Amino acid sequence: MGTISLEHSSRLYWLGRYTERTFRTLEALQGLYDKTIDNPAAYTTYLAAFGLPDHYDSSTAFFRCFLYNKNNCDAVAYSLERAYDNGIVLREAISSEALSFLQIAKDTLKRSEHADNILLSLLPLKDTFYSFWGCIMDQVYDEEAWNLIFCGKSMERLMLSLRLKAPYAEVSRIFQKLCRRLRFVPEGTPYRCDPERLEKLTAYLSSETEYNMHTAQAIHELERIFEVSP
Amino acid sequence: MTHTEIRQAEEAQSLFTEAIGNAGEINELLRRYGVKFGIYKNGVFKEQFFPFDPIPRVIPAEDFHLIEKGLVQRVNALNKFLFDMYHEKQIVRDSIIPEDFIYLSKGYLAQCEGITPPGEIYSHISGIDLVQGKDGAWYILEDNLRIPSGASYPLIARELTRIACPGAFAQHHITDNRNYAELLRDTMEHVNCGGIRAILTPGRYNAAYFEHSYLAELTDAVLVQNDELFVEGNKLYQRTYNGGKTQIGVLYRRISDEYLDPLTFYPDSVIGIPNLMEAYRSGNLGLINAPGNGVADDKGIYYFVPKMIRYYLGEEPILQNAPTYLPFYDEDRQYVLDRLDTLVLKDVSEAGGYGVVFGSDLTKEQLTELRDTILAEPRRFIAQEVIDFLDLPILDNGQTVLRKADLRAFVLTGKETKVWASGLTRFSRNPDSFVVNSSQGGGFKDTWVLSR
Repeated sequence: MGTISLEHSSRLYWLGRYTERTFRTLEALQGLYDKTIDNPAAYTTYLAAFGLPDHYDSSTAFFRCFLYNKNNCDAVAYSLERAYDNGIVLREAISSEALSFLQIAKDTLKRSEHADNILLSLLPLKDTFYSFWGCIMDQVYDEEAWNLIFCGKSMERLMLSLRLKAPYAEVSRIFQKLCRRLRFVPEGTPYRCDPERLEKLTAYLSSETEYNMHTAQAIHELERIFEVSP
Repeated sequence: MTHTEIRQAEEAQSLFTEAIGNAGEINELLRRYGVKFGIYKNGVFKEQFFPFDPIPRVIPAEDFHLIEKGLVQRVNALNKFLFDMYHEKQIVRDSIIPEDFIYLSKGYLAQCEGITPPGEIYSHISGIDLVQGKDGAWYILEDNLRIPSGASYPLIARELTRIACPGAFAQHHITDNRNYAELLRDTMEHVNCGGIRAILTPGRYNAAYFEHSYLAELTDAVLVQNDELFVEGNKLYQRTYNGGKTQIGVLYRRISDEYLDPLTFYPDSVIGIPNLMEAYRSGNLGLINAPGNGVADDKGIYYFVPKMIRYYLGEEPILQNAPTYLPFYDEDRQYVLDRLDTLVLKDVSEAGGYGVVFGSDLTKEQLTELRDTILAEPRRFIAQEVIDFLDLPILDNGQTVLRKADLRAFVLTGKETKVWASGLTRFSRNPDSFVVNSSQGGGFKDTWVLSR
């Protein structure tokens, strides 16, 4: 279309990243919540994966902070607010319909804060995100805009998978998906890969052994994958 | 409430049972779709939902027909006036309007002298505020020819109300208002000088940001901010993220004239585009609305609009102004000073409901002070009789009560001048107030124009 400005491209990319971060953090916390039923200290493994200190009195305090605290940059609420901040200035690009799902997500998260059963109350939040992305696929006709959102989404998913040390098969699939999307990014934009870094990342993720040995390096390369930092 | 008013409220209650019953759902849908407006209080930006009242204003077909004719006439005359103002000023030479009202108006921009916009159209989107008196007559309260806002609210409200209350729409013969985007797109295309359509917004923290983004979505226009625009070779371009550029042929700008181009107007503007006026002057850009329109919607000029209609069109005005006096004229000044405690005084340089004073609300000392100010600066004020406007029923905590309301009608001028068969009905939530502006706590209603 040729009408995406630099500011807009950044918003689209970060919309993808923050919606994915919200979703995957929620998913990870749901898994963790299940583990704490048997082992109340299980949440510490999550903190360790991100190099965060444990200053929580209980798993309940941890979950409340990582779900609802808008000032905690690792919390679901924080990511959702940032996703909304990007979405609200992209209404004309992503549609009012898609934007409305972010408002629904905010409302759902807010309601769950006072629910008796947090896990149950958060289930509709995942549905909302699937609807949001479905809506993006359906309503965004500009392929470059679409691709930027999904580049952001795949990038975030790979980043979180690496940090949480997801199984290699999964990481490999996500990486390939990201590579396919990055190929569609036009030249001369900030979202073009630095070929040298992509080559290194590909090497680090080429086999399970390499992945196990070089996860930290892979994260390092991924964080700097673009020619220009977006 | 009087007996008539009680009957009016009861009628509304029975006619709009479905809408009233679903008021919560409709407001919830409006929230879901982010129908908000921003407001600055004590320097802090707050975004709030625009309170929607489910009881619509209903305009019978014959009333609308009259309003439509009157508004087309008025806007056509105003467009001719604007062309005249920035060219020959024949209306001043013919002593119909004193030159003080032109050159002392803040809205007159000498920088626009001699510029002929595409199609000679200055006011493409006019927001004309009307009220209906208790006698049923419609009065023009104000012309807004710069960047009138508000069309998006009844537009989205209609979309959502039809979901929540389909029965109401099946039952009444209501003209569909969802053609606003089409009207706007046509209006933009009519003055497109070659390129894409764009809407210029100051950004998210503008009071009307919802409207900017929603209208961009509906008209397939690109929503832009100044930092992505530049002028080269007297053409306006959008800078794209791959280092390219796309020409903009028509710009629906939602920022005030004085901030548009720092090289022409306010030099400290950080939201303008340098040389934008050169692109416009060269005929390479359609600007909606044209800069300099403020000279025609100045509250002082309002007094002269009926005269303009007679002068430019040779017709009698179809719609009347509210009875207005200009303290500038000796005769009017004396009348105003004699009846200050019964009139409403408006400072011509203020907008948004500010600078409006009801004489009846003032103490003796305040009246004396106002009298002195009028004597010192007679050009600064207009005075109007307080119109006893028809109150409209609104839902207040489950009860139907009557409140003051106005109507902002939207008139779009492209190939021809058309009145949108709807409008923004704003009401005061305060029972003692005549001020309906959203910035002062007012709410809004949908406006149903009956098709027969």
